[in-house]
Amino acid sequence: MPNSARVVVTPLREGGPAATGSELVRANPYRPWPARITSITELTAHEKLFEFRLVDDRIREAFHHEPGQFVELSIFGVGEAPISISSSPTKSGFIELCVRRAGEFTTRLHELQCGDTVGIRGPYGRPFPIDEMRGHDVLLVAGGLGIAPLRSLINNIHDERSEFGKVTIIYGSRTPKDVMFRDQFEMWRHRKDFDLYLTVDEPDDSWDGEVGLVTKPFEHLEIVPDHTYGAVCGPPVMYKFVVQEMRNKGISYDHIYMSFERHMKCGMGKCGHCQIGHQYCCIDGPVFNYWEAKNIQGSM
Amino acid sequence: MLYRVIDGSELPLLVEAFLERYEVIAPVQTKKGYAFAPVDSFDQVALDYPSTVSSLKKYYLPQRETLFRFDAETNEVLDLEVEVRPRVLFGAHACDINAINCLNSVFEDARYPDPYYEAHRRSMLVVGISCTPTSECFCQLMDADEARSGYDLFLQDIGGRYLVSMNSVEAANILETACNPRVATDEDRRAFRQATRRRQESFNPAIPDIQEIPMLMDAFHSDAFWDELGERCLSCTACSAVCPTCHCFDIRDVLDPDGRIGERERVWDACTSPQFATVTGGHNFRPTGRERVRHRMYHKLNGFLATHDRNLCVGCGRCVRACKANISPIEVLRFFEKKGAEDAE
Ligand SMILES: Cc1cc2nc3c(=O)[nH]c(=O)nc-3n(C[C@H](O)[C@H](O)[C@H](O)COP(=O)(O)OP(=O)(O)OC[C@H]3O[C@@H](n4cnc5c(N)ncnc54)[C@H](O)[C@@H]3O)c2cc1C
Ligand code: SF4
Ligand code: SF4
Ligand code: FES
Repeated sequence: MPNSARVVVTPLREGGPAATGSELVRANPYRPWPARITSITELTAHEKLFEFRLVDDRIREAFHHEPGQFVELSIFGVGEAPISISSSPTKSGFIELCVRRAGEFTTRLHELQCGDTVGIRGPYGRPFPIDEMRGHDVLLVAGGLGIAPLRSLINNIHDERSEFGKVTIIYGSRTPKDVMFRDQFEMWRHRKDFDLYLTVDEPDDSWDGEVGLVTKPFEHLEIVPDHTYGAVCGPPVMYKFVVQEMRNKGISYDHIYMSFERHMKCGMGKCGHCQIGHQYCCIDGPVFNYWEAKNIQGSM
Repeated sequence: MLYRVIDGSELPLLVEAFLERYEVIAPVQTKKGYAFAPVDSFDQVALDYPSTVSSLKKYYLPQRETLFRFDAETNEVLDLEVEVRPRVLFGAHACDINAINCLNSVFEDARYPDPYYEAHRRSMLVVGISCTPTSECFCQLMDADEARSGYDLFLQDIGGRYLVSMNSVEAANILETACNPRVATDEDRRAFRQATRRRQESFNPAIPDIQEIPMLMDAFHSDAFWDELGERCLSCTACSAVCPTCHCFDIRDVLDPDGRIGERERVWDACTSPQFATVTGGHNFRPTGRERVRHRMYHKLNGFLATHDRNLCVGCGRCVRACKANISPIEVLRFFEKKGAEDAE
């Protein structure tokens, strides 16, 4: 008999057995699953925080992520966009995505209301090595929208605070109006278990944080280099400078982790869009350590 | 591996037997040269074709392929069942079989096996055939001149008859039913060795054999050579379209005229296309021809080797002929040869 073959895209069978994440991927990795918007918070004039719940119980239960991973979000008829998961894995049952209105897809997303559905597939990508970071000091540096993936790591550390050493957060924005999660961070500024530095390029009268680039607070940072992990995410121009500061403080190449952004389509190492040198940002990254990045042509 | 010998006059029987049950894709002569196309009789098959303009990849990764249909109003995926027709790819050269082997390692990756690609591949029989190199062929330099796997039958012309390597029971059954395969003799094996040697000697000696290509790719990453190539590049993406291993694609949604039901499809894309690596805010990680051409060559001659242990260029020569700006891996090999000569001075 000639061997014909079929590709099937079907929903999970009603009443079928519980599925694991990898079973779902095997069934059809390009198929997004319906997710309902359960809450929308306006963060700034351009950014909103969306909370989603995967509609199917079994898929929601099968969904596990780690800080630094992303999903492919679908609005059918518009397309897909890779978005970092902003919530912590310590809180399950929902997925938070912090999205900037930038172009066609994200504008359409910003128009959606609570109760509307979108499609989600994932999670994808290599996360921050949170288990390796346990027992160590952590220095997190975010620029602008780079706070979106780092928030997942920050909130995870917060929920398991006793498992980490000293935690320092540097978060730079253009103006005070662009600072996201400002309420949360304002509260944390008075806590002893987080060293928090908020910086802006252009202050206004209300601003009492630092002024200047995210590298500025490094001037007075005290770091135990052998005992510290760095985690960096921000606009492309930021990495070189922040990483240099971390190196100056003596943090080892392989303890400095960065999350890169590239153009992505499939998220599964096939479509080629996200290539950095010989690596695929979607499956080999988006989180790379500095040693790896140095060995990837064109990474920084 | 099992080897058998069939007479040249038996080939039509084999093709006719395939035609009874499969769609048969084979090289045919067209106005523009040669192409792989469906045939309905052996007479249409151009057995001794030099190369084809475009490759076989379209049978694994169609230029446009529907992933699923959706309802844009309810934001739901609609069921989709794709039946893939059983096919025989008849007359693939070794380089093209090796190219499919490259695609396999991407699309059948254990983490994310691609169900569409797998369906095409599972429904396909591949029958390879020996070839005579053209002046643009350099598969031997890319370690792709011999197909060691990835086919069901391989037909080696040994003068009026074929030494057949049989790699699958399905194809062997058809061969045995349609033809009268006999066990290979010492004389057949001698003829095989002679044919192999003749082929080895007929590669174009003007294409330089460079050792340590990956190291040189890294060492000359910033050389002005790439500016030159990049300035010449027209961003026409012809190179990627004809290449048997280029597999980049875009994913997009297309709505029916009613604006409600639509399809998510993937379409071929190319890293030589200017906006390929652009992200929101307009930052382009490969803004000029220099970075784009270099990236394509880097992936072909170095990057893929690092991750998959084989070159992503199989030396088929198609882009050498397709590029109007004379940009190809051969130009890169010539550049390295020139650098080597300068170093030796
Ligand atoms: C790993 C990763 C994580 C991300 N996390 C976030 C996040 O948490 N919050 C957030 O707001 N944004 C994030 N982005 C960026 C976000 O994906 C883009 O802003 C979004 O795709 C823009 O789509 P658009 O249609 O609104 O913009 P347009 O500029 O109108 O469209 C750009 C086109 O390019 C495609 N594209 C694919 N990847 C990208 C990309 N990286 N940048 C730009 N275009 C892309 C889009 O699908 C679209 O077809 C992330 C990107 C990556 C790669
Ligand atoms: S890069 Fe050119 S020579 Fe190499 S496999 Fe592709 S088309 Fe053939
Ligand atoms: S390298 Fe040649 S074929 Fe490829 S895009 Fe540039 S001009 Fe076109
Ligand atoms: S996004 Fe497709 S290969 Fe990485």
